[in-house]
Amino acid sequence: MNGDSPMLLLGIGTAGTRIARGVLRAFGENLRYAVADTDASASGDGDEFVLLGGDRLSGRGAGGDIVSARLAAEDSIQNLDSKLEGVRLAVVVTCLGGGTGGGATLEAVKRLSALGIPSIVFATLPFMFEGEDRQRNARGVMSMIEDAANATFFLPLDKLVCGADVMDEAMRRATDTVASGVTLFWRLVEKPGYIKLDADRIRRLVQCAGRGRFAAVTTQGPDRAAEAVDALVRSEMLATAQAPVRSVLCGVLAGNDLRLSEIGTIADGIQQAFGEHVSFDLGTVNDEATFSGRLSVVAMLFESGGRDAGAASVGGVMSGRRQRPAKGTLGRGRFNNAERTEWHGEDLDVPTFIRHSITLDF
Amino acid sequence: MGSLYAALEIGTTRTVLAIAEAEAGKRLRMVCHAEIPSSGVRKSQILSIPDATQSIRSVLREIEKKQDSLGSRVTIGNAFLVVSGQHVLATHAEGQTLVGGSRVGPAEMNEAARLARQIPIPKGRELLDIVDQDYALDNRGGLSDPKGMSGNVLKLNTLQIHADANRVQDARSAADGAHLEICEPVFAATCAADAVLEEHERKNGALVLDLGGGSTGYAAYANGYLASAGVIGVGGDHVTNDIAAAFQTTNMQAEELKTSTASAELGTYPAESSRVRVGGVSTLMDSRTISRRALDTVVNARMKETFTIVRETLEEQDLLHHMHAGCVLVGGGANLREVESLAEKELGLSVRRGKPVGIDGLEREKDPWSYAAVAGALIYAYRNDEGRSFLDGILGRFFK
Repeated sequence: MNGDSPMLLLGIGTAGTRIARGVLRAFGENLRYAVADTDASASGDGDEFVLLGGDRLSGRGAGGDIVSARLAAEDSIQNLDSKLEGVRLAVVVTCLGGGTGGGATLEAVKRLSALGIPSIVFATLPFMFEGEDRQRNARGVMSMIEDAANATFFLPLDKLVCGADVMDEAMRRATDTVASGVTLFWRLVEKPGYIKLDADRIRRLVQCAGRGRFAAVTTQGPDRAAEAVDALVRSEMLATAQAPVRSVLCGVLAGNDLRLSEIGTIADGIQQAFGEHVSFDLGTVNDEATFSGRLSVVAMLFESGGRDAGAASVGGVMSGRRQRPAKGTLGRGRFNNAERTEWHGEDLDVPTFIRHSITLDF
Repeated sequence: MGSLYAALEIGTTRTVLAIAEAEAGKRLRMVCHAEIPSSGVRKSQILSIPDATQSIRSVLREIEKKQDSLGSRVTIGNAFLVVSGQHVLATHAEGQTLVGGSRVGPAEMNEAARLARQIPIPKGRELLDIVDQDYALDNRGGLSDPKGMSGNVLKLNTLQIHADANRVQDARSAADGAHLEICEPVFAATCAADAVLEEHERKNGALVLDLGGGSTGYAAYANGYLASAGVIGVGGDHVTNDIAAAFQTTNMQAEELKTSTASAELGTYPAESSRVRVGGVSTLMDSRTISRRALDTVVNARMKETFTIVRETLEEQDLLHHMHAGCVLVGGGANLREVESLAEKELGLSVRRGKPVGIDGLEREKDPWSYAAVAGALIYAYRNDEGRSFLDGILGRFFK
């Protein structure tokens, strides 16, 4: 473990732990991480493991019940604190819809927020075939996580499996895709090239980033930069949300053969695709051992934040059409200290139009 | 003067006190009622006993003023307490007795009822009501009157309605502070149903929805008895909160938008009214306009969700398709524009607003459904008091 790193990777629940381990494998070197679960049998990570709800669930896991997991996390979320010393940015990986990921992620993110640690959440959403209950559970908690986290990436598993049909293969591929995306992000920060994006820069970027879209592509050959841009622009992962993009964070990862013209192609192509008015930040990683001959581009698109976030918000009300009200106005409002009302995992005290992402035509 | 009864409702939005009089040979009549905005109450729960006490004192003063203007005054010493909030639950309990192959008589039926009433409610709960449902004789269920039938085991199904004992005690404490004694807590939704439903509606199956400020109570009748009851912790206050969040208004402005302009249905306003003016929060701020469509979208989303929860709750209990007489809306939320129309669509039932029919005196009210719960509590008090002496009615029970 790299205890000095200002960035922490935090996996929640079984699926989150699996993704975190995937990142760990792919990153290849010491990486500061922790995993939190209600199931003590997942404690293979030794010192990095945090048991949630030990008194309530006796380490037996939440059994797919998000309410139990949420209560367990409420009981014991302070157990995380020992892993958070010196952390200036937390990247949370989890799976919503059921169990510990669905129930405990919100409490973990709220804890990070309470301690003043900005968080980026990468959360997979259940397959459609898993049924409406799990979908509803995931939808219900999404808005609350958005409310507590600084940046969120919700990744539908249906779109992550990339055509795999066999269940085991599909799950592995989905997990690998998320893990590789997070790994690229990590490399961008921890092993920067000539164009740096350090943790503080990322931290400032995500302070008010809101909901994001995320995709990573790898290409090779003489036109690899143009092909990477083309693949990103056509990526289903970047086209899932309806709201306009306000800021873009782009990482270019390559070997020593990375050319300035390629960086220009990527920067121009992405800015052109998502609008030149967006806030755009780019960083590079030069790692000959890992990327020799290949070019990987990771793009994170945010629906709020960036340079013009302040200008767009006048007295807390964003001008023009908007998807959601300005951050900070979300949540329970006058019900902040009142007894919570939940229905299928949704916090009914949070305005319905926010929870259901209903567009308001202003 | 006939027997007098009083009912108190400490709601999220308002505190209501009402007095009814029962004169021999005449229908029960609400002779006076008063209401003031509540303070110290959120989601139908008291957050501050001193604030709630102050509200009760104020409403007592208000009702005295009203009585003075009517030329007669009594000092209210005690009242029935109308209880709502998501802490109210209904659970099934059955009492069973042996008939031993003989015919069922009144003794067996009374014994089944007695045993059903001996089943304890969960710890920390206070009983609001036990309602008899139907009988089962051996394998024959759904019997409304098993008298004369032969069998071995007679079961009476009942519905126990109970509330968090501490919450009820908080209301008592608040009333104590205002020198008002609570004689019995009663459930708002079933009281409202008592007030607004006709007997044939109960028989045909009807749903009463009490759209309160802090919560939404429901009472579902099928085959002539109360089949299910409960509370969803969402009410008109949530609509107000949603509006405030969407348009960055104060709660007062949001409440005004909700009551004066907003509609539960979309597209119900003329084109020239597509924007609504909202005054500045302070004199230093200009007023502004907001989109009527956006306002209605916010309200529609919340109300649609509330009705969906009710529908799913009843569907889970296999009750919705029994509601042949439709749904009756009561409470302050029933004043929301187009709420009947939206409820019809979402519940798939015919919907009306409920005027209390079991009590007179509300004929001149423009929104009599807002008083359905207190009216029902007064009816309940009257029914329970029948058989007592006239003198008891005046001096012994309700007025000091």
